[in-house]
Amino acid sequence: MNFWETITGSDLTREWKAFEARAEALPNDYRAAWDEIKTHLSPYSDFTGRNLMPILDGALGLLEESAADGQSIYHVVGDDIVGFSAALAGGVGARSYRDKWREQLNRNVARKLERLGG
Amino acid sequence: MGIQDIIEGKRQWRAHVARVKALPPDYQIVYQEIQRYLFKVGPVDLVDGTLLSGLVEFFEEGAAAGKGVLQLIGTDVAAFCDDLIKDSRTYADVYQESVERNSGAAEK
Amino acid sequence: MEKGAVEDLTELLKGTLEGCVLEIIGREETYGYAITRRLNELGFADVVEGTVYTILLRLERNGLVQVTKRPSEQGPPRKFYALNDAGRAELATFWAKWTYVKTRIDKLKEGGR
Repeated sequence: MNFWETITGSDLTREWKAFEARAEALPNDYRAAWDEIKTHLSPYSDFTGRNLMPILDGALGLLEESAADGQSIYHVVGDDIVGFSAALAGGVGARSYRDKWREQLNRNVARKLERLGG
Repeated sequence: MGIQDIIEGKRQWRAHVARVKALPPDYQIVYQEIQRYLFKVGPVDLVDGTLLSGLVEFFEEGAAAGKGVLQLIGTDVAAFCDDLIKDSRTYADVYQESVERNSGAAEK
Repeated sequence: MEKGAVEDLTELLKGTLEGCVLEIIGREETYGYAITRRLNELGFADVVEGTVYTILLRLERNGLVQVTKRPSEQGPPRKFYALNDAGRAELATFWAKWTYVKTRIDKLKEGGR
């Protein structure tokens, strides 16, 4: 039994099932990333896992939107998925990750707008 | 209630996406990148949904006035985003606070 | 005045821009674009509508303004902002703080005590 199966609160189970249903719809490499993110987020869980729900929700939303956009999974999570997950949860290195995301945002906007103009 | 409700609360979300798609291409690009950034940063306010719908409204006004998106919000899009969520705690903050509280309690 | 001297005010303006927006709204009910224009005319050329938007969002969230949607000639309806009582109190606080800081910084510059 893995960590997530120990979550038994009924509303959490329902939310959890909805997450997995959404994850099913992701491309394979994205689904693999989702599984890894879940694993690496588990140390940040409180007793019930409730505190992680909104974080997982945001991560899944990010994966869904990026997959729909046709981005490679590498562009979304980078090569350090442990660090990425820690940053999502506010663990070690969250601040430097946020700086990285900030730069990524401005870089992506500049690149895409340039492509649009050209 | 979570971001999921915005995404899965299908009709509302679909209407929202349709409004985004109706924006000029430069606005769409910037909107998508902003949304992606906010999903990662995870402001607690994101779940009430008004942050994103308000942003689309603001973009619609700018587009209707014939402005380019960077003319509207400036070239530092990340700075704009951070201003947008300045007062909002993030889920990462919430976690940090709980860790600090617990370690504080343990020391006593 | 040398132009270079007044460029890049972003850091220095942080924290005071909100007060400026409150003051502008306090004079008459107005909307985002007009507020931006007013600040630009005043000499804050770097202020874009997006900056004003984030400030208005915060003022609204903190319950300092009254918001009314009105149709506009072009495009979607416009949000007009007016100060409520809490907003007027906030504005008074801003000017009190501003005066406090300004007086002291001026003293510092003049070398007095």
